[in-house]
Amino acid sequence: MVVKVKNVVKRYEEKIALDHFNMEVNEGEILGLLGPNGCGKTTAINCILSLLKFDKGEIQVFGRKMTPNSYDIKRQIGLVPQEVSVFENLTVKENIDYFCGLYIDDKNTRRQYVEEAIEFVGLKDYVRFYPRKLSGGLKRRLNIACGIVHKPKLIFLDEPTVAVDAQSRNFILEGIKKLNREGSTVIYTTHYLEEAEMLCNRIIIMDNGKDIASGTIEELKAMITTLEKIVVRFVNIEDEVINKMYKIPHVIDIERNGEDFIIKFENGINNLSNLLSFIAEYNLTYIKLYSQLPTLNDVFLELTGKELRD
Amino acid sequence: MNIIRNYIYQGKNLFRDGTFLFWAMVYPIILAFFFNLAFSSMMNVNFDDIQVGIEENNYIFPILEEIEFINIHKITQDQVDEKLFNEEIDAFVDSDLHLTVKKSGIRQTIIKEVVEQIKQTVKLNRPIDGTEFSVNYVAGKNQESNSVIIIFYSLIAMVSTYGVFAGIETASLMQANLSNLGLRINATPLKKQNFLIAGVIVSLLLNLLANTGLLLFINYVLKIHLFTNIAYSLIFIILGNLLGVILGIFIGVSNKKSPNVKTAIAISLTLFLSFLSGMMGPWIKAIIEKYAPFLNRINPISIITNNLYRINLLGNTKSLGEGIAVLLIYSMVLLIGSYVFLRRKSYDSI
Repeated sequence: MVVKVKNVVKRYEEKIALDHFNMEVNEGEILGLLGPNGCGKTTAINCILSLLKFDKGEIQVFGRKMTPNSYDIKRQIGLVPQEVSVFENLTVKENIDYFCGLYIDDKNTRRQYVEEAIEFVGLKDYVRFYPRKLSGGLKRRLNIACGIVHKPKLIFLDEPTVAVDAQSRNFILEGIKKLNREGSTVIYTTHYLEEAEMLCNRIIIMDNGKDIASGTIEELKAMITTLEKIVVRFVNIEDEVINKMYKIPHVIDIERNGEDFIIKFENGINNLSNLLSFIAEYNLTYIKLYSQLPTLNDVFLELTGKELRD
Repeated sequence: MNIIRNYIYQGKNLFRDGTFLFWAMVYPIILAFFFNLAFSSMMNVNFDDIQVGIEENNYIFPILEEIEFINIHKITQDQVDEKLFNEEIDAFVDSDLHLTVKKSGIRQTIIKEVVEQIKQTVKLNRPIDGTEFSVNYVAGKNQESNSVIIIFYSLIAMVSTYGVFAGIETASLMQANLSNLGLRINATPLKKQNFLIAGVIVSLLLNLLANTGLLLFINYVLKIHLFTNIAYSLIFIILGNLLGVILGIFIGVSNKKSPNVKTAIAISLTLFLSFLSGMMGPWIKAIIEKYAPFLNRINPISIITNNLYRINLLGNTKSLGEGIAVLLIYSMVLLIGSYVFLRRKSYDSI
């Protein structure tokens, strides 16, 4: 176990930022902390890193209690904070070299790591630039380079793609996968569903400081009742026929969204063919028809009663 | 971590910082330039021109006669008003050593100081012949001495404390709850005390560099020669730097105001203390000395100003210990205060 967080409570005066929060991170995985802004993701990271005091609970990193003086543990950790946190008056290369030097004493190793990190984030053409001269996306890449340059065993990436263009985002996500392939365990916070689905082996869904669900994407999707949605638009259909659709096996609900009907099924087996048989039986004409498997947003919606992007 | 690398990078970061460059390097030179423009006419006083009227039978007549920057005019009591009115003499000294002047000014002030010193020497029953007035008041070393020069000593004193800006910057990088970069650095294995020591040393060196720039500008561009005793002067300039850096760290770590507010606090504080020490005109210093002399003893910029004045203008290097002690005590108190805030390793909120 690389990180273990047990029943942590963190209060900011009256507000509870972490409410008996639990988290376990295994070696070699990419764990996603998924939740809306303000749900406690960054607070959780800061507590794990012992930057923030917490009121209750226990945190272990690499099997040991994490304290502000755990310098040997910190040596194995890389942090990419949510805000770009670099020296504005040092160049790209100087920034990366500075942070590398906080971990790596050997000059040759440091030089090699710095070059690799620059290559890794694609900033080779910008090494002499000051951060203020870089675009938002390039600054984010520099922010990442400073956090991963020392090849840490455990990397915290706190919403590294916020306000980043599509090209830089893909570059960053591919880079994170590569880091993981090279042996780093990654804790990745985001409120972007697609990122979490694309990147993470396992996800913890957070809301109001609580870990409301955790598991692989498949496990999370299996937790909800609606396992398939079929969207269909008919040319003409009577209410009586619609009511008869409830007799199709596994249908649990039918919603109307404009001219479309969203038919919800409780499991995912043969739903489409059952619906097509019904359409043939009642001689219905449709304009469009497609199936949707549940997304993490559906999981979040069902577990919390609200959209993740609310 | 390689400590030297930390020093180099902190130094680079600070040296390239616009706030530091302006306030520590450019602003003092601008001030010095304008002070020179405003006061240059007052500074070009020729002490050979000081004319003193005195009766021939006055017992200090022979003493004044010996002082090279005073021209003696033997006059009677009846001629005083006329001579003063016609500006043939700057002051008249009567038999009780009272001074009569028509107006106040630098020459009158110097005569007054000379007479006061003679009075004290007489009271102490010391031989008057041994008193070195040329050392005390003038340029025994070709110094263009006058009270306006105190403005420049005050400016140097103020600028010596401008390590305060570097101190504020260092503090914000050390605290996870003060800046994003501070948060990141706190997550690394870099120990706070190492960062602090590097910050203090780098800030001191850079501010001393800035001070050197100002002194060279005053000396070679404005042609005002302020220093006759560099070694003793350096002690106070370095102590001013140390106090400034530690004050900056204290301002930096003791509250969560924005960097701009902290910079404003530092500027206001140093400017106010400099004002009290006579930077906007020596008259304020004289008023404070008259009504609240205690303030001049505790105002660090006054302490530095006074000692630079005494060392270089009056040639007096005795009793410097009090000023050194007070500056060191200030630095220690602020350092301990800063430590109280810095020792907190985890934060309640970030």
